[in-house]
Amino acid sequence: MRARDLVTDFPRVTPDTPVVEAARLLATHDLPGLIVVDEDGLPVSILPGTQVLRMAVPGYCQDDPALAGVIDEEHADAFLRTLADQPVRDALPARPRELPVTDPDATVLEIAALMARTHSPLVAVVGDGRLLGAVTLKTLLNRALPQ
Amino acid sequence: MTVLAWLSLAVFLAAYALIATERIHRVAAALGGAGIMLLIHATDAGAAFFAEATGIDWNVIFLLLGMMIIVGVLKQTGVFEYLAVWAAKRARGRPYRLMVLLVVITAVASALLDNVTTVLLIAPVTFLVCERLALPVVPYLIAEAMSANIGGAATLVGDPPNIIIASRGGLSFNDFLIHMAPMIVILMIVFLGLCRIMFRKSFTYDPVRAAEIMRLDEREAIADPRLLRQSLAVLGLVTAAFVLHPVLHYEPSVVAILGAGILVAATPVTTEQALAEVEWPTLVFFAGLFVMVGALVETGVIGHVSQLAVNATEGRLGLTTMVLLWASAGLSAIVDNIPYVASMSPIVADLVQANGGNEHAQVLWWALAFGADLGGNATAVGAAANVVILGIAARNRHPISFWEFTKYGLIVTFITVLLVTPYLWLRYLA
Repeated sequence: MRARDLVTDFPRVTPDTPVVEAARLLATHDLPGLIVVDEDGLPVSILPGTQVLRMAVPGYCQDDPALAGVIDEEHADAFLRTLADQPVRDALPARPRELPVTDPDATVLEIAALMARTHSPLVAVVGDGRLLGAVTLKTLLNRALPQ
Repeated sequence: MTVLAWLSLAVFLAAYALIATERIHRVAAALGGAGIMLLIHATDAGAAFFAEATGIDWNVIFLLLGMMIIVGVLKQTGVFEYLAVWAAKRARGRPYRLMVLLVVITAVASALLDNVTTVLLIAPVTFLVCERLALPVVPYLIAEAMSANIGGAATLVGDPPNIIIASRGGLSFNDFLIHMAPMIVILMIVFLGLCRIMFRKSFTYDPVRAAEIMRLDEREAIADPRLLRQSLAVLGLVTAAFVLHPVLHYEPSVVAILGAGILVAATPVTTEQALAEVEWPTLVFFAGLFVMVGALVETGVIGHVSQLAVNATEGRLGLTTMVLLWASAGLSAIVDNIPYVASMSPIVADLVQANGGNEHAQVLWWALAFGADLGGNATAVGAAANVVILGIAARNRHPISFWEFTKYGLIVTFITVLLVTPYLWLRYLA
Protein backbone atom coordinates (compact mmCIF):
# COMPACT_ATOMS: atom_id res chain seq x y z
CA MET A 1 0.00 0.00 0.00
CA ARG A 2 1.43 3.34 -1.08
CA ALA A 3 0.50 6.99 -0.75
CA ARG A 4 -1.11 6.91 -4.22
CA ASP A 5 -3.59 4.29 -2.97
CA LEU A 6 -4.59 6.38 0.03
CA VAL A 7 -4.62 9.90 -1.39
CA THR A 8 -7.92 11.73 -1.60
CA ASP A 9 -8.82 15.13 -2.94
CA PHE A 10 -8.41 17.84 -0.35
CA PRO A 11 -9.58 21.48 -0.20
CA ARG A 12 -6.82 24.05 -0.37
CA VAL A 13 -6.43 27.70 0.58
CA THR A 14 -3.97 30.38 -0.51
CA PRO A 15 -1.99 32.78 1.69
CA ASP A 16 -4.54 35.47 0.75
CA THR A 17 -7.54 33.52 2.03
CA PRO A 18 -9.02 35.25 5.11
CA VAL A 19 -8.48 33.22 8.28
CA VAL A 20 -12.24 33.36 8.99
CA GLU A 21 -12.92 31.58 5.72
CA ALA A 22 -10.22 29.02 6.43
CA ALA A 23 -11.71 28.33 9.85
CA ARG A 24 -15.18 27.95 8.36
CA LEU A 25 -13.82 25.50 5.78
CA LEU A 26 -12.38 23.40 8.59
CA ALA A 27 -15.65 23.38 10.49
CA THR A 28 -18.08 22.67 7.64
CA HIS A 29 -16.01 19.91 6.02
CA ASP A 30 -14.79 18.42 9.29
CA LEU A 31 -11.18 18.65 8.10
CA PRO A 32 -8.16 17.75 10.28
CA GLY A 33 -6.19 20.67 8.82
CA LEU A 34 -5.56 22.82 5.78
CA ILE A 35 -3.14 22.88 2.86
CA VAL A 36 -1.92 26.36 1.94
CA VAL A 37 -0.76 26.49 -1.70
CA ASP A 38 1.24 29.02 -3.72
CA GLU A 39 0.33 30.32 -7.18
CA ASP A 40 1.69 27.11 -8.77
CA GLY A 41 -0.65 25.07 -6.63
CA LEU A 42 2.17 23.55 -4.55
CA PRO A 43 2.00 23.43 -0.74
CA VAL A 44 3.75 26.31 1.08
CA SER A 45 2.42 25.30 4.46
CA ILE A 46 0.27 22.59 5.97
CA LEU A 47 -1.61 23.62 9.06
CA PRO A 48 -3.27 21.24 11.51
CA GLY A 49 -6.65 22.52 12.67
CA THR A 50 -5.21 23.55 16.02
CA GLN A 51 -2.72 25.81 14.23
CA VAL A 52 -5.54 27.45 12.27
CA LEU A 53 -7.26 28.09 15.59
CA ARG A 54 -4.01 29.52 16.93
CA MET A 55 -4.29 32.32 14.34
CA ALA A 56 -7.37 33.58 16.18
CA VAL A 57 -5.82 33.46 19.64
CA PRO A 58 -4.57 36.93 20.64
CA GLY A 59 -0.79 37.23 20.57
CA TYR A 60 -0.64 38.13 24.25
CA CYS A 61 -2.31 34.86 25.22
CA GLN A 62 0.21 32.94 23.13
CA ASP A 63 3.13 34.83 24.67
CA ASP A 64 1.72 34.42 28.15
CA PRO A 65 -0.75 31.56 28.70
CA ALA A 66 -1.65 32.88 32.17
CA LEU A 67 -3.46 35.81 30.55
CA ALA A 68 -6.17 33.73 28.90
CA GLY A 69 -7.70 33.15 32.32
CA VAL A 70 -7.73 36.83 33.22
CA ILE A 71 -10.22 37.66 30.46
CA ASP A 72 -13.89 37.68 31.44
CA GLU A 73 -16.36 35.23 29.92
CA GLU A 74 -18.10 37.69 27.61
CA HIS A 75 -14.88 38.83 25.96
CA ALA A 76 -13.56 35.28 25.88
CA ASP A 77 -16.69 34.12 24.04
CA ALA A 78 -16.06 36.74 21.38
CA PHE A 79 -12.38 36.01 20.69
CA LEU A 80 -13.02 34.53 17.22
CA ARG A 81 -14.78 37.71 16.11
CA THR A 82 -11.55 39.67 16.27
CA LEU A 83 -10.25 37.84 13.22
CA ALA A 84 -11.94 40.20 10.73
CA ASP A 85 -10.25 39.94 7.33
CA GLN A 86 -6.78 38.97 8.46
CA PRO A 87 -5.27 36.71 5.76
CA VAL A 88 -3.72 33.31 6.36
CA ARG A 89 -0.36 34.76 5.22
CA ASP A 90 -0.03 36.83 8.42
CA ALA A 91 -0.40 33.78 10.58
CA LEU A 92 1.97 31.34 8.90
CA PRO A 93 4.85 30.19 11.09
CA ALA A 94 7.74 32.65 10.92
CA ARG A 95 10.35 29.94 10.55
CA PRO A 96 9.53 27.36 7.90
CA ARG A 97 9.51 23.92 9.42
CA GLU A 98 9.63 20.55 7.72
CA LEU A 99 6.43 20.22 5.69
CA PRO A 100 4.44 16.98 5.81
CA VAL A 101 4.72 16.49 2.06
CA THR A 102 5.46 13.15 0.43
CA ASP A 103 5.52 11.48 -2.96
CA PRO A 104 3.01 8.93 -4.31
CA ASP A 105 5.46 6.07 -3.74
CA ALA A 106 5.69 6.56 0.03
CA THR A 107 4.70 3.54 2.11
CA VAL A 108 2.17 3.67 4.95
CA LEU A 109 5.02 3.52 7.44
CA GLU A 110 6.78 6.46 5.77
CA ILE A 111 3.58 8.50 5.90
CA ALA A 112 2.94 7.56 9.53
CA ALA A 113 6.50 8.49 10.49
CA LEU A 114 6.17 11.83 8.71
CA MET A 115 2.87 12.60 10.46
CA ALA A 116 4.33 11.75 13.83
CA ARG A 117 7.48 13.79 13.23
CA THR A 118 5.71 16.91 11.98
CA HIS A 119 2.75 16.67 14.41
CA SER A 120 0.44 16.84 11.42
CA PRO A 121 -2.83 14.92 11.03
CA LEU A 122 -2.53 15.19 7.25
CA VAL A 123 0.20 14.67 4.68
CA ALA A 124 0.12 16.31 1.25
CA VAL A 125 1.02 14.10 -1.71
CA VAL A 126 2.95 15.79 -4.52
CA GLY A 127 3.75 13.95 -7.77
CA ASP A 128 4.90 15.15 -11.18
CA GLY A 129 5.18 18.70 -9.84
CA ARG A 130 1.57 19.02 -8.76
CA LEU A 131 -0.46 18.50 -5.61
CA LEU A 132 -2.43 15.28 -5.90
CA GLY A 133 -4.29 15.55 -2.60
CA ALA A 134 -3.72 14.44 0.94
CA VAL A 135 -3.60 11.40 3.19
CA THR A 136 -5.38 12.08 6.47
CA LEU A 137 -4.72 10.43 9.81
CA LYS A 138 -8.19 8.90 9.67
CA THR A 139 -7.65 7.35 6.22
CA LEU A 140 -4.26 6.05 7.24
CA LEU A 141 -5.55 4.45 10.44
CA ASN A 142 -8.59 2.94 8.69
CA ARG A 143 -6.40 1.27 6.11
CA ALA A 144 -3.43 0.33 8.23
CA LEU A 145 -5.11 -1.03 11.36
CA PRO A 146 -5.77 -4.77 11.34
CA GLN A 147 -9.48 -5.36 10.59
CA MET B 1 54.15 46.00 23.59
CA THR B 2 55.22 42.53 22.46
CA VAL B 3 54.15 40.85 19.22
CA LEU B 4 51.90 38.59 21.26
CA ALA B 5 50.27 41.64 22.84
CA TRP B 6 49.56 43.16 19.42
CA LEU B 7 48.25 39.81 18.18
CA SER B 8 45.92 39.44 21.15
CA LEU B 9 44.67 42.99 20.66
CA ALA B 10 43.91 42.22 17.01
CA VAL B 11 42.00 39.06 17.98
CA PHE B 12 40.02 41.00 20.58
CA LEU B 13 39.13 43.85 18.21
CA ALA B 14 38.06 41.42 15.48
CA ALA B 15 35.85 39.47 17.89
CA TYR B 16 34.44 42.71 19.33
CA ALA B 17 33.61 43.95 15.81
CA LEU B 18 31.83 40.67 15.07
CA ILE B 19 29.84 40.94 18.30
CA ALA B 20 28.93 44.58 17.64
CA THR B 21 27.89 44.05 14.02
CA GLU B 22 26.17 40.73 14.76
CA ARG B 23 27.72 39.25 11.62
CA ILE B 24 27.95 35.92 13.43
CA HIS B 25 26.29 34.70 16.62
CA ARG B 26 27.75 36.54 19.60
CA VAL B 27 28.48 33.28 21.41
CA ALA B 28 30.47 32.06 18.41
CA ALA B 29 32.36 35.36 18.27
CA ALA B 30 33.22 35.34 21.99
CA LEU B 31 34.15 31.66 22.11
CA GLY B 32 36.05 31.92 18.80
CA GLY B 33 38.02 34.86 20.17
CA ALA B 34 38.70 33.00 23.42
CA GLY B 35 39.77 29.92 21.47
CA ILE B 36 42.26 31.86 19.35
CA MET B 37 43.66 33.55 22.49
CA LEU B 38 44.36 30.10 23.92
CA LEU B 39 45.71 28.87 20.59
CA ILE B 40 48.29 31.68 20.31
CA HIS B 41 49.24 31.27 24.02
CA ALA B 42 48.01 34.77 24.89
CA THR B 43 46.49 33.03 27.89
CA ASP B 44 46.40 29.44 29.15
CA ALA B 45 44.02 27.06 30.88
CA GLY B 46 45.40 27.96 34.29
CA ALA B 47 44.62 31.65 33.80
CA ALA B 48 41.40 31.16 31.84
CA PHE B 49 39.77 28.78 34.30
CA PHE B 50 41.34 29.54 37.65
CA ALA B 51 42.81 33.06 37.79
CA GLU B 52 40.62 35.51 39.66
CA ALA B 53 41.70 38.60 37.74
CA THR B 54 42.35 37.21 34.28
CA GLY B 55 40.04 34.24 34.01
CA ILE B 56 36.35 33.43 33.86
CA ASP B 57 34.63 35.32 36.65
CA TRP B 58 32.69 32.50 38.27
CA ASN B 59 31.04 34.93 40.67
CA VAL B 60 29.35 36.58 37.70
CA ILE B 61 28.46 33.31 35.97
CA PHE B 62 26.95 31.70 39.07
CA LEU B 63 25.10 34.83 40.15
CA LEU B 64 23.50 34.96 36.70
CA LEU B 65 22.75 31.23 36.79
CA GLY B 66 21.15 31.42 40.23
CA MET B 67 19.03 34.45 39.37
CA MET B 68 17.92 32.88 36.07
CA ILE B 69 16.64 29.82 37.94
CA ILE B 70 14.83 31.90 40.57
CA VAL B 71 13.23 34.12 37.92
CA GLY B 72 12.33 31.09 35.82
CA VAL B 73 10.31 29.66 38.68
CA LEU B 74 8.88 33.02 39.73
CA LYS B 75 7.53 33.77 36.29
CA GLN B 76 5.55 30.54 36.21
CA THR B 77 3.55 31.75 39.21
CA GLY B 78 1.71 34.51 37.31
CA VAL B 79 2.61 37.16 39.88
CA PHE B 80 3.60 39.70 37.25
CA GLU B 81 0.37 39.29 35.32
CA TYR B 82 -1.50 39.67 38.58
CA LEU B 83 0.32 42.89 39.43
CA ALA B 84 -0.05 44.40 35.97
CA VAL B 85 -3.78 43.68 35.70
CA TRP B 86 -4.27 44.91 39.25
CA ALA B 87 -2.43 48.12 38.28
CA ALA B 88 -4.61 48.59 35.21
CA LYS B 89 -7.71 48.32 37.37
CA ARG B 90 -6.26 50.66 39.98
CA ALA B 91 -5.62 53.18 37.22
CA ARG B 92 -9.35 52.95 36.40
CA GLY B 93 -8.56 53.18 32.71
CA ARG B 94 -6.86 56.58 33.01
CA PRO B 95 -4.13 56.32 30.35
CA TYR B 96 -1.32 58.26 32.01
CA ARG B 97 -2.00 56.77 35.44
CA LEU B 98 -1.84 53.35 33.76
CA MET B 99 1.52 54.19 32.22
CA VAL B 100 2.89 55.39 35.56
CA LEU B 101 1.85 52.18 37.31
CA LEU B 102 3.14 49.87 34.57
CA VAL B 103 6.41 51.77 34.33
CA VAL B 104 6.94 51.71 38.10
CA ILE B 105 6.17 47.98 38.31
CA THR B 106 8.63 47.36 35.47
CA ALA B 107 11.35 49.45 37.10
CA VAL B 108 10.99 47.80 40.51
CA ALA B 109 10.84 44.31 39.02
CA SER B 110 13.88 44.92 36.84
CA ALA B 111 15.87 46.15 39.82
CA LEU B 112 15.61 42.62 41.23
CA LEU B 113 15.28 40.58 38.04
CA ASP B 114 16.97 40.84 34.72
CA ASN B 115 15.63 43.44 32.30
CA VAL B 116 14.77 41.11 29.45
CA THR B 117 12.69 38.82 31.66
CA THR B 118 10.87 41.83 33.06
CA VAL B 119 9.82 43.20 29.67
CA LEU B 120 8.93 39.70 28.45
CA LEU B 121 6.52 39.47 31.39
CA ILE B 122 5.03 42.94 31.24
CA ALA B 123 4.59 43.24 27.44
CA PRO B 124 1.79 40.67 26.94
CA VAL B 125 -0.33 42.21 29.72
CA THR B 126 0.26 45.61 28.18
CA PHE B 127 -1.15 44.38 24.87
CA LEU B 128 -4.23 43.04 26.63
CA VAL B 129 -4.87 46.20 28.64
CA CYS B 130 -4.21 48.62 25.78
CA GLU B 131 -6.45 46.62 23.45
CA ARG B 132 -9.24 46.71 26.02
CA LEU B 133 -8.81 50.47 26.50
CA ALA B 134 -8.30 51.15 22.75
CA LEU B 135 -5.01 52.85 23.59
CA PRO B 136 -1.97 52.81 21.29
CA VAL B 137 0.27 50.11 22.75
CA VAL B 138 3.57 51.37 21.30
CA PRO B 139 4.20 54.25 23.76
CA TYR B 140 3.58 51.90 26.67
CA LEU B 141 6.00 49.31 25.30
CA ILE B 142 8.72 51.90 24.67
CA ALA B 143 8.27 53.36 28.16
CA GLU B 144 8.48 49.89 29.72
CA ALA B 145 11.70 48.96 27.89
CA MET B 146 13.29 52.21 29.04
CA SER B 147 12.12 51.90 32.63
CA ALA B 148 13.49 48.33 32.73
CA ASN B 149 16.89 49.73 31.72
CA ILE B 150 16.74 52.59 34.22
CA GLY B 151 15.36 50.46 37.07
CA GLY B 152 17.91 47.73 36.40
CA ALA B 153 20.72 50.17 37.11
CA ALA B 154 19.60 50.55 40.72
CA THR B 155 20.97 47.30 42.14
CA LEU B 156 23.87 44.89 41.84
CA VAL B 157 21.64 42.20 40.32
CA GLY B 158 19.47 44.47 38.17
CA ASP B 159 21.61 44.56 35.06
CA PRO B 160 24.50 42.29 33.93
CA PRO B 161 26.97 45.22 33.61
CA ASN B 162 26.38 45.94 37.30
CA ILE B 163 27.16 42.32 38.18
CA ILE B 164 30.48 42.57 36.32
CA ILE B 165 31.28 45.95 37.87
CA ALA B 166 30.48 44.66 41.36
CA SER B 167 32.72 41.63 40.97
CA ARG B 168 35.62 43.48 39.35
CA GLY B 169 35.39 46.50 41.64
CA GLY B 170 34.79 44.54 44.83
CA LEU B 171 31.52 46.43 45.37
CA SER B 172 28.71 45.05 47.49
CA PHE B 173 24.95 44.93 47.03
CA ASN B 174 24.60 47.72 49.58
CA ASP B 175 27.19 49.84 47.77
CA PHE B 176 24.84 49.82 44.79
CA LEU B 177 21.85 50.60 47.03
CA ILE B 178 23.69 53.55 48.52
CA HIS B 179 25.36 54.95 45.42
CA MET B 180 23.10 54.01 42.50
CA ALA B 181 19.56 53.50 43.82
CA PRO B 182 18.84 57.01 45.20
CA MET B 183 19.73 58.61 41.88
CA ILE B 184 17.73 55.99 39.98
CA VAL B 185 14.64 56.95 42.02
CA ILE B 186 15.12 60.57 40.96
CA LEU B 187 15.69 59.55 37.35
CA MET B 188 12.49 57.48 37.40
CA ILE B 189 10.47 60.49 38.58
CA VAL B 190 11.99 62.61 35.82
CA PHE B 191 11.38 59.81 33.32
CA LEU B 192 7.69 59.69 34.26
CA GLY B 193 7.49 63.43 33.61
CA LEU B 194 9.19 62.93 30.24
CA CYS B 195 6.66 60.21 29.35
CA ARG B 196 3.84 62.62 30.09
CA ILE B 197 5.32 65.06 27.55
CA MET B 198 6.69 62.65 24.94
CA PHE B 199 3.55 60.52 24.65
CA ARG B 200 0.97 63.24 25.43
CA LYS B 201 -0.96 62.55 22.21
CA SER B 202 -1.57 58.94 23.21
CA PHE B 203 -3.48 59.58 26.42
CA THR B 204 -7.12 59.63 25.41
CA TYR B 205 -9.56 58.56 28.10
CA ASP B 206 -12.68 56.62 27.17
CA PRO B 207 -15.02 56.06 30.16
CA VAL B 208 -16.92 53.21 28.47
CA ARG B 209 -13.72 51.35 27.69
CA ALA B 210 -12.40 52.13 31.16
CA ALA B 211 -15.39 50.35 32.69
CA GLU B 212 -14.57 47.27 30.61
CA ILE B 213 -11.14 46.99 32.19
CA MET B 214 -12.71 46.37 35.59
CA ARG B 215 -14.06 43.06 34.32
CA LEU B 216 -10.60 41.51 34.04
CA ASP B 217 -9.92 39.09 36.85
CA GLU B 218 -6.30 39.27 37.98
CA ARG B 219 -6.71 36.39 40.45
CA GLU B 220 -7.07 34.00 37.51
CA ALA B 221 -3.43 34.72 36.60
CA ILE B 222 -2.17 32.98 39.74
CA ALA B 223 -1.98 29.35 38.78
CA ASP B 224 -0.52 27.98 41.99
CA PRO B 225 -0.80 30.19 45.10
CA ARG B 226 1.40 27.85 47.15
CA LEU B 227 4.24 28.02 44.64
CA LEU B 228 3.80 31.79 44.53
CA ARG B 229 4.19 32.09 48.31
CA GLN B 230 7.23 29.81 48.29
CA SER B 231 8.96 31.64 45.43
CA LEU B 232 8.29 35.05 46.94
CA ALA B 233 9.66 33.81 50.25
CA VAL B 234 12.85 32.62 48.55
CA LEU B 235 13.19 35.90 46.62
CA GLY B 236 12.76 37.74 49.92
CA LEU B 237 15.39 35.56 51.61
CA VAL B 238 17.81 36.06 48.73
CA THR B 239 17.36 39.84 48.80
CA ALA B 240 17.79 39.88 52.58
CA ALA B 241 20.99 37.85 52.24
CA PHE B 242 22.30 40.29 49.61
CA VAL B 243 21.68 43.19 51.98
CA LEU B 244 23.07 41.35 55.01
CA HIS B 245 26.38 40.61 53.31
CA PRO B 246 28.33 42.61 55.94
CA VAL B 247 26.90 40.27 58.60
CA LEU B 248 26.56 36.94 56.80
CA HIS B 249 29.58 37.19 54.47
CA TYR B 250 27.98 35.22 51.65
CA GLU B 251 28.99 36.43 48.19
CA PRO B 252 26.02 37.41 45.93
CA SER B 253 26.83 34.45 43.66
CA VAL B 254 26.61 32.06 46.62
CA VAL B 255 23.35 33.62 47.81
CA ALA B 256 21.77 33.33 44.35
CA ILE B 257 22.82 29.74 43.80
CA LEU B 258 21.71 28.72 47.32
CA GLY B 259 18.40 30.49 46.74
CA ALA B 260 17.91 28.64 43.47
CA GLY B 261 18.77 25.38 45.21
CA ILE B 262 16.28 25.97 48.03
CA LEU B 263 13.60 26.86 45.49
CA VAL B 264 14.08 23.59 43.60
CA ALA B 265 14.42 21.52 46.78
CA ALA B 266 11.44 22.99 48.64
CA THR B 267 8.89 23.38 45.84
CA PRO B 268 7.26 20.94 43.42
CA VAL B 269 9.32 22.51 40.61
CA THR B 270 11.54 19.84 39.08
CA THR B 271 15.22 20.30 38.29
CA GLU B 272 14.41 20.05 34.57
CA GLN B 273 11.82 22.84 34.80
CA ALA B 274 14.15 25.05 36.79
CA LEU B 275 17.01 24.57 34.34
CA ALA B 276 14.80 25.05 31.26
CA GLU B 277 14.68 28.81 31.85
CA VAL B 278 18.46 29.19 32.10
CA GLU B 279 19.93 31.01 29.12
CA TRP B 280 23.02 28.86 28.66
CA PRO B 281 24.19 30.79 25.57
CA THR B 282 24.40 33.97 27.68
CA LEU B 283 26.50 32.23 30.34
CA VAL B 284 28.86 30.82 27.71
CA PHE B 285 29.06 34.27 26.09
CA PHE B 286 30.20 35.72 29.41
CA ALA B 287 32.79 32.96 29.82
CA GLY B 288 34.19 33.66 26.33
CA LEU B 289 34.35 37.39 27.03
CA PHE B 290 36.19 36.88 30.30
CA VAL B 291 38.82 34.65 28.66
CA MET B 292 39.33 37.19 25.87
CA VAL B 293 39.64 40.17 28.20
CA GLY B 294 41.80 38.08 30.56
CA ALA B 295 44.18 37.40 27.67
CA LEU B 296 44.50 41.15 27.09
CA VAL B 297 45.47 41.52 30.75
CA GLU B 298 47.93 38.58 30.57
CA THR B 299 49.69 39.99 27.49
CA GLY B 300 49.93 43.45 29.04
CA VAL B 301 47.58 45.24 26.63
CA ILE B 302 45.20 46.33 29.38
CA GLY B 303 48.13 47.43 31.58
CA HIS B 304 49.42 49.50 28.69
CA VAL B 305 46.05 51.11 27.95
CA SER B 306 45.51 51.76 31.67
CA GLN B 307 48.92 53.42 31.91
CA LEU B 308 48.07 55.65 28.96
CA ALA B 309 44.73 56.51 30.57
CA VAL B 310 46.36 57.18 33.95
CA ASN B 311 48.99 59.44 32.36
CA ALA B 312 46.42 61.31 30.31
CA THR B 313 44.11 61.94 33.25
CA GLU B 314 46.62 62.25 36.05
CA GLY B 315 45.21 64.12 39.00
CA ARG B 316 42.04 65.00 37.15
CA LEU B 317 39.53 62.61 38.66
CA GLY B 318 36.60 64.90 37.83
CA LEU B 319 37.39 65.07 34.14
CA THR B 320 38.08 61.31 34.01
CA THR B 321 34.72 60.61 35.64
CA MET B 322 32.80 62.78 33.18
CA VAL B 323 34.58 61.40 30.12
CA LEU B 324 33.95 57.86 31.37
CA LEU B 325 30.26 58.59 32.04
CA TRP B 326 29.51 60.20 28.68
CA ALA B 327 31.74 57.92 26.60
CA SER B 328 30.19 54.85 28.25
CA ALA B 329 26.71 56.17 27.49
CA GLY B 330 27.67 56.90 23.88
CA LEU B 331 29.28 53.52 23.30
CA SER B 332 26.54 51.55 25.05
CA ALA B 333 24.01 53.24 22.80
CA ILE B 334 25.62 51.60 19.79
CA VAL B 335 27.07 48.32 21.04
CA ASP B 336 25.96 45.82 23.66
CA ASN B 337 26.99 47.15 27.07
CA ILE B 338 28.03 43.73 28.42
CA PRO B 339 31.21 43.28 26.34
CA TYR B 340 31.92 46.98 26.77
CA VAL B 341 31.81 46.78 30.57
CA ALA B 342 33.69 43.46 30.60
CA SER B 343 36.61 44.98 28.69
CA MET B 344 36.45 48.37 30.40
CA SER B 345 36.40 46.98 33.95
CA PRO B 346 40.11 46.09 34.26
CA ILE B 347 41.01 49.56 32.96
CA VAL B 348 38.65 51.26 35.41
CA ALA B 349 40.08 49.07 38.20
CA ASP B 350 43.57 50.39 37.37
CA LEU B 351 42.29 53.98 37.22
CA VAL B 352 40.61 53.60 40.62
CA GLN B 353 43.89 52.30 42.08
CA ALA B 354 45.86 55.14 40.47
CA ASN B 355 43.49 57.64 42.07
CA GLY B 356 44.03 56.27 45.54
CA GLY B 357 41.65 53.31 45.50
CA ASN B 358 39.45 54.95 48.14
CA GLU B 359 35.70 55.61 48.17
CA HIS B 360 36.40 58.89 46.41
CA ALA B 361 38.01 57.13 43.46
CA GLN B 362 35.15 54.63 43.31
CA VAL B 363 33.14 57.34 41.57
CA LEU B 364 34.69 55.92 38.39
CA TRP B 365 32.81 52.65 38.90
CA TRP B 366 29.54 54.54 39.32
CA ALA B 367 30.26 56.60 36.21
CA LEU B 368 30.82 53.37 34.27
CA ALA B 369 27.62 51.82 35.66
CA PHE B 370 25.41 54.87 35.02
CA GLY B 371 26.87 55.42 31.57
CA ALA B 372 26.62 51.82 30.41
CA ASP B 373 23.15 51.21 31.88
CA LEU B 374 21.52 54.48 30.82
CA GLY B 375 23.24 54.56 27.44
CA GLY B 376 21.34 51.44 26.52
CA ASN B 377 18.16 53.50 26.20
CA ALA B 378 19.51 55.71 23.44
CA THR B 379 18.83 53.47 20.46
CA ALA B 380 16.60 50.52 19.63
CA VAL B 381 19.66 48.24 19.66
CA GLY B 382 21.33 49.75 22.75
CA ALA B 383 19.98 47.22 25.22
CA ALA B 384 18.64 43.68 25.05
CA ALA B 385 15.30 44.81 26.53
CA ASN B 386 14.78 47.23 23.61
CA VAL B 387 15.49 44.53 21.05
CA VAL B 388 13.05 42.19 22.79
CA ILE B 389 10.30 44.83 22.90
CA LEU B 390 10.73 45.56 19.18
CA GLY B 391 10.49 41.83 18.49
CA ILE B 392 7.29 41.38 20.54
CA ALA B 393 5.73 44.47 18.97
CA ALA B 394 6.45 43.25 15.44
CA ARG B 395 5.07 39.80 16.21
CA ASN B 396 1.84 41.33 17.48
CA ARG B 397 1.44 43.54 14.41
CA HIS B 398 2.30 46.83 16.12
CA PRO B 399 5.81 47.27 14.69
CA ILE B 400 8.09 49.88 16.26
CA SER B 401 10.69 51.17 13.84
CA PHE B 402 14.32 51.72 14.81
CA TRP B 403 13.89 55.49 14.60
CA GLU B 404 10.59 55.62 16.42
CA PHE B 405 12.29 54.08 19.46
CA THR B 406 15.53 55.97 18.97
CA LYS B 407 13.97 59.44 18.80
CA TYR B 408 12.55 58.98 22.30
CA GLY B 409 15.63 57.06 23.42
CA LEU B 410 18.04 59.84 22.58
CA ILE B 411 15.98 62.35 24.58
CA VAL B 412 15.70 60.06 27.62
CA THR B 413 19.38 59.09 27.57
CA PHE B 414 20.58 62.64 27.15
CA ILE B 415 18.43 63.97 29.99
CA THR B 416 19.15 61.11 32.40
CA VAL B 417 22.92 61.21 31.82
CA LEU B 418 22.80 65.01 32.07
CA LEU B 419 21.20 64.67 35.51
CA VAL B 420 23.76 62.08 36.63
CA THR B 421 26.57 64.51 35.79
CA PRO B 422 25.91 66.97 38.68
CA TYR B 423 24.98 64.04 40.95
CA LEU B 424 28.43 62.47 40.56
CA TRP B 425 30.10 65.85 40.71
CA LEU B 426 28.39 67.10 43.85
CA ARG B 427 28.45 63.81 45.72
CA TYR B 428 31.97 62.60 44.97
CA LEU B 429 34.07 65.30 43.37
CA ALA B 430 33.11 68.67 44.79
